[in-house]
Amino acid sequence: MIDIVFLLIIFFMVAAQFAQQAHIKLDLPTEVGEEITHKEQNKLVINILEDGTIIVDKSEGSISLQELESIVGSTLGEDNTSWQNITLRADENALSKSLNEVIGVLHKHGLSATNVATETP
Amino acid sequence: MNFSSAKGRHKINKGSLNLSSMIDVTFLLLIYFIVTTVFTPAESLLSPALQLEEGAASQAQDFEPQIVTLEMQGIHTVYVLGGQVLTSRVEFANTIAKLPIAPGLIIRVKNEVPVGFALTAVQEARNAGFERVTYVPAVD
Repeated sequence: MIDIVFLLIIFFMVAAQFAQQAHIKLDLPTEVGEEITHKEQNKLVINILEDGTIIVDKSEGSISLQELESIVGSTLGEDNTSWQNITLRADENALSKSLNEVIGVLHKHGLSATNVATETP
Repeated sequence: MNFSSAKGRHKINKGSLNLSSMIDVTFLLLIYFIVTTVFTPAESLLSPALQLEEGAASQAQDFEPQIVTLEMQGIHTVYVLGGQVLTSRVEFANTIAKLPIAPGLIIRVKNEVPVGFALTAVQEARNAGFERVTYVPAVD
């Protein structure tokens, strides 16, 4: 019984760590999404909060569009990086203005498509 | 010869340790982590093509794509498809289901529209089977 209890403790401790390292908490739109045939590594996740704030890395806080441009440029400069390695996570209550601006940045770097995250119902 | 005196002989307790306190602490820790753990919900992806309005005219296309514009009319979000103004998602889904899917669907999204509403259009277009769904930020 003690072994099981310790295993449970370790499980919940690890689960808590994963939750903290997971994505920023957003109210994503609830949609089924698509069946994604490609499983590419996520090299860049762009978060758009309800107030339009753009966050790429949780620890660095919000960034401007100009900073986002340089981040996208450097990410796409890496080998074997395409639009499939970039994901947008936007709060469902955010205005499309921020999303449109970010998409404009992506399109400027030659991206022909993008991944937009949704919450599976 | 027995050098040890009976009086000074101490009982040596081998391997005996009271674990009851440790079990209490263990259970407290377990309860704490059970209460505070938050599991992140599963996420899926929508993958529309991207296009900017400035470049649309220069691209030659075999088929004339169908264009739906998402905008605010008052406090309501509407789908404007051709001459029709559709106010609900179900209405929009039923309308685009009648459209040919080969030309694709362009979804123009105005800035004041909520993101969730914009993505409903992308999702419904995918559900309707459109081969190409393009997201276009609308230029006001």
